[in-house]
Amino acid sequence: MTSKLTYMGVIGLTALSSVAATPAFAAGTTAGTTITNTATVDYQVGGVAQAQQQAANNFVVDRKINLLVEEVGTVTTNVVPGQTNAVTTFQLTNTSNETLDFALVASQITGGTAAHGGTDAFNVNNIRIYRDNTVTGTVGSWDAGDTLITAYVDELVVDTAIRLFVVADIPTTLAVPAVVNGAVAGVTLRATAREGGLAGTQGAAITETTGANTAGKDTVFADIAGVAGDVARDGSHSDNDDYTVQTATLAVTKSSRVISDPFNNTTNPKLIPGAVVEYCIAVANTGGAAATSVLITDPVPGQLTFSAGTILLGGTVTGGVCDFNGTAGGSYAAPNVSGTIASIAAGAASTLVFRATVN
Amino acid sequence: MRTALFLLLAAMIPGQALAANQVALDNNVFVERVTTDAQGKQKILLEEPKVVVPGDRLVFVLSYRNAGAQPADKFVITNPMPSAVQFADAGDTRPLVSVDGGKQWGLLSDLSIPMNDGARRAAQPADVTHVRWAFAKPIPVGGAGKLMFRGVVK
Repeated sequence: MTSKLTYMGVIGLTALSSVAATPAFAAGTTAGTTITNTATVDYQVGGVAQAQQQAANNFVVDRKINLLVEEVGTVTTNVVPGQTNAVTTFQLTNTSNETLDFALVASQITGGTAAHGGTDAFNVNNIRIYRDNTVTGTVGSWDAGDTLITAYVDELVVDTAIRLFVVADIPTTLAVPAVVNGAVAGVTLRATAREGGLAGTQGAAITETTGANTAGKDTVFADIAGVAGDVARDGSHSDNDDYTVQTATLAVTKSSRVISDPFNNTTNPKLIPGAVVEYCIAVANTGGAAATSVLITDPVPGQLTFSAGTILLGGTVTGGVCDFNGTAGGSYAAPNVSGTIASIAAGAASTLVFRATVN
Repeated sequence: MRTALFLLLAAMIPGQALAANQVALDNNVFVERVTTDAQGKQKILLEEPKVVVPGDRLVFVLSYRNAGAQPADKFVITNPMPSAVQFADAGDTRPLVSVDGGKQWGLLSDLSIPMNDGARRAAQPADVTHVRWAFAKPIPVGGAGKLMFRGVVK
């Protein structure tokens, strides 16, 4: 029993010391700092205080290169075909213990799984990187006041995070491969640490101190692995984000029913000359975005005569069957019946209904 | 001030009691690296502090020896923490520590820190500003020993 208790005690201590082994110092002591530890001894001999003894040692804190590129929001950016300035958001943090420049490259994923699922299927155009202006404009969101970055972030101080936007234009639906609903385009933002110290100029590439270490300031890469191809401890870090096309996909169906004939009236009417027929043109949106200003045009066949004032717009569909309802609207210019539905939400359907008489 | 006072005392009192460098003190620092081998066993290596980056664990080793001809009494070793190093532990050497810049001393478990609201919280290793070992018994002639404590580079 005693041995068990001792064993527990040892485990407890081990757990404690392993917690202490990984304290959270984000960036920490500035590279090049000399740490001096001095111990002193006070003592007496024969009751008489003696001269204090001192012992000291020094060492220099080396340079730890560490950075973090993170996609912000962990959601895809929904875009529509032909959209310009579609924005994905990233954050770059300098967790090194020295102020550094960071070279930035935004690139496109070719094939493979995108950050938020789906397979990369197309490429965006005109890809750019902007740095958020934290003073003016909309802080945290891309706006015209943000700074276009051509190659690098200048002099990013220790423990500082900045927001970066990868901005691109989405091809139109005419592009090849097709930019269809649900198509995904993945982008990667990669930052590589460069020497800091000179504002306005991109610093030289940084190399890790290899081989024999010096007593002075050495360089150690401490970054973690990023996206595929970006290994740990290479002085750079990266993350993916993606665009997903959300567009409307419309399907049109047409149905009809006989309302009345001159002999049966509305009881079991037959399609004889003089009968009134009601048509329904239903437009269903199976896409991921609302379709707006949907114009429906239907030429009335020559064997029918359009019944004026019978057009109903914006009716409903139940279980795939037209409800033959709606509100009055639309217009007739022989031979076409037409009407505009303001908006059909994703997953919804709307109708245009009109009546005509059999000649 | 304390140093100056002792030096002054030492200068004023001549005689055999003042033997130069009766006590030798050595101060070494190592970086503690934990490596895991293929079998998953952890190995701890102490290295010279050549490559030191924030977050590294340091082991400070203080070696003392009474090189004089008489026992050394009231033997006290004091080590202020370097500002860029956070105290972690002192193994089983049970030092007295200070968490207020050397004004008050005690075992870490007995000390507390005043908070803004007037209450006090238990002192943590990170609060330690000074480490001190006070020997109850004289160090005999030729007596030697080692003391250690761990810290983490901030």
